[in-house]
Formats: sequence, structure tokens, C-alpha cells
Amino acid sequence: MTFTKLTEEHLDALREISNVGMGNAATALSQMVADTVELHVPSVTLANIVDVPDLIGGPEQVVVGITMRIQGDACGTILLVFPDQSAHRLVNQLLGRADYGPRFDEMAESTLKEVGNILASSYLGAMGNLLNLMLIPSIPAFSHDMAGAVIDYLLIELSETGDQALMIETEFQGRRPGADVIAGRFFLLPDPASLKVLIDAIGAAH
Amino acid sequence: MSQKERVGISEYKTLSSPGMLITYGLGSCLGIIFYDAESQSGGMAHTLLPQPRPGMVSECKTKFVTTAIEMMLADLITKGCRQKNLVAKLFGGANMFAELQTVDKESIGQRNIRVAKETLVTIGIPLVAEDTGGSFGRTLEFDLTTGQVLVRSVRENKREKYF
Repeated sequence: MTFTKLTEEHLDALREISNVGMGNAATALSQMVADTVELHVPSVTLANIVDVPDLIGGPEQVVVGITMRIQGDACGTILLVFPDQSAHRLVNQLLGRADYGPRFDEMAESTLKEVGNILASSYLGAMGNLLNLMLIPSIPAFSHDMAGAVIDYLLIELSETGDQALMIETEFQGRRPGADVIAGRFFLLPDPASLKVLIDAIGAAH
Repeated sequence: MSQKERVGISEYKTLSSPGMLITYGLGSCLGIIFYDAESQSGGMAHTLLPQPRPGMVSECKTKFVTTAIEMMLADLITKGCRQKNLVAKLFGGANMFAELQTVDKESIGQRNIRVAKETLVTIGIPLVAEDTGGSFGRTLEFDLTTGQVLVRSVRENKREKYF
């Protein structure tokens, strides 16, 4: 199955399961930061790989990217993107410390990877329950750089099989009264080869 | 009037002086530059993968190192560059996620670099400068008047360096 064969109903169904997954992940995040976490309605975009860097906010924007492979019954990639400022706020809030400079130290890096792991696990757990699939995230990998450079590795993987990317995206924001907003974006990029498994599982679950 | 043109992922563009070719945020991708000092013209490609594999479905030939080099060279010669005047520069091919690096296996960035160098040897275009590998992203600004390439990074203490 290729991405171009997806119907409007397929995209709707993907949006719906992503909503459930992200709802679960947001609960986990809001418990971690003891804040309200607001979610935007997920969007499902079929994009040319060429356009992806612009869709995630421009190739030169400095971001933290945390990526995990999805293993089990269906495969794909999860990418969590935090703008530089938000990543720093999140670390400071979680570790209860003051700002410590522009670079992330080892403690900060492993904290952000753990956030990625918790979000991905709760997202995939909810999605797996709903679809009756086993979906497990791999060990997270961390990068802090220009967005274009952070994501091109994922685009390279996708472009081994085609020229398009299916992006299931949710924007979220942590908000505490009087504190700065922590924003982030959660992307699920299914492997083209696993698309049929997902669509069939959605069909069976309905 | 001086032109500034952006080269996106899996694209290549050619241009003559006065003008600037720019590409943003190269990670594992490889930026390939050809320059002819005599005609002050050249090209820049932003490639993703070394070469097409048999059976690979892709409409986009310019995402591969080998085919992008071939097409960019043909394009420059059509526009009046002489092959013997051309020199090449390579940028990018980094490994952005340290955790994904395996010791025994060539990373995708390294493969892109190796295949580009092999292709340049085959077609006889000398490699005169490179800033490749490492674990940081690069933005390139290629000035068609001087042939110089400014490489900017946000890591490495916001390094800016000409090649």
C-alpha cells in the first residue's frame, strides 16, 4: 500500500486514533509538569518530503528533536520537537533548577529523552490497546540543532521507499498561570510498509 | 540585480554571478557544489541518499548523490560551463543522533560522502574543499562571484567559516 492510496476516511481514522493516543500522552505530561496541557486537534498531512522542513517551522529554527523507532506489529518513527526555549523551560521545571546556559548538559539531555520515552509509550500504549496491536518505542535519540538538520535523517529513511511522508501531528502546550508556555509538537510517521497493518487494524476496531 | 535562490531538500539549482545559492539545515544530507571560476557560474545540490536502488520507486532523481551530480553537470555544460574548469566542494553528511551511530556500520552521512567522492573521481572533477561529517547541522551560502561558500552552524559555538 502506498500513501497515495489513502482515502479521506483512512485519514479521518488516523486522526481519531492519534487523538486518543495523544490524549493519553498529554495526561502523562501534565502529571510530570503538574500543569494543564492543552492539545490541538491532530492533523494528518500527506506531504512531499521536500516540504517537510517548512511544515515543521522552517529549517533554520533551533529545536530539540527526540526520536524513537516504533517496533512491534507496525513500524514507524516518532519525533518530538521542542523549540529551543520550550525545551529549556521544560527541563528547568522538571528538575526544579534555574537556567544554566544555552547548551543542554547530560542531565538535561537525559531528562528530555525520558520525557520523549514517557510520551511515546503512553501514546503507543493507548493506540495499541485501541487497535489491538503491539507497538513499542525504541530507546530515544536526542539532537539539538537546526530543525532541517535534526529531521533530515528521518526524511532519508522515508525517501528510501518513496517521495512522500505521512505526518500525523499534534501540537501541545503546557500552561501554568504566570509561567511561560512550553510548546511542542508530536509527530508519528508510519513506515509505508506498515500502513496496511494500521489501516486493517483500524477497520477491525470500528 | 543580485539573485538569492534557495535550494530545498532533494533539489539542485544553477546560477551565475552576481548571485547566491543558499541551502538551510543540512544534517546527514550532503550539499554538493560545482563552480566554474572563469564564467563565475555554478550549481548547488541538496541530496538525501547515495544512489537509487534497483526497484526503488522514485520520481525524484535529484535526491540522489549520483544522479544529482550527473544532472547538475549536464545542466552547467548546457549553460556554457566547461567541464575542465569545474571544481567541486562537499558539505554536510553529519550524524545528528549520536545514539543511532553504530560502530561497525557506515552511517548514511558517511555513505553520501563516500559515493560523492567516488563519483567525482569517475567524472574527473577535482574536490577542492570540504566540511563534512561531525554531528552538527550546516547552512550554506554560496557566492557565485567569488566561488566561496560560507558554512554556518548553530552548534560548535555558532561557527561561521568560509570554504
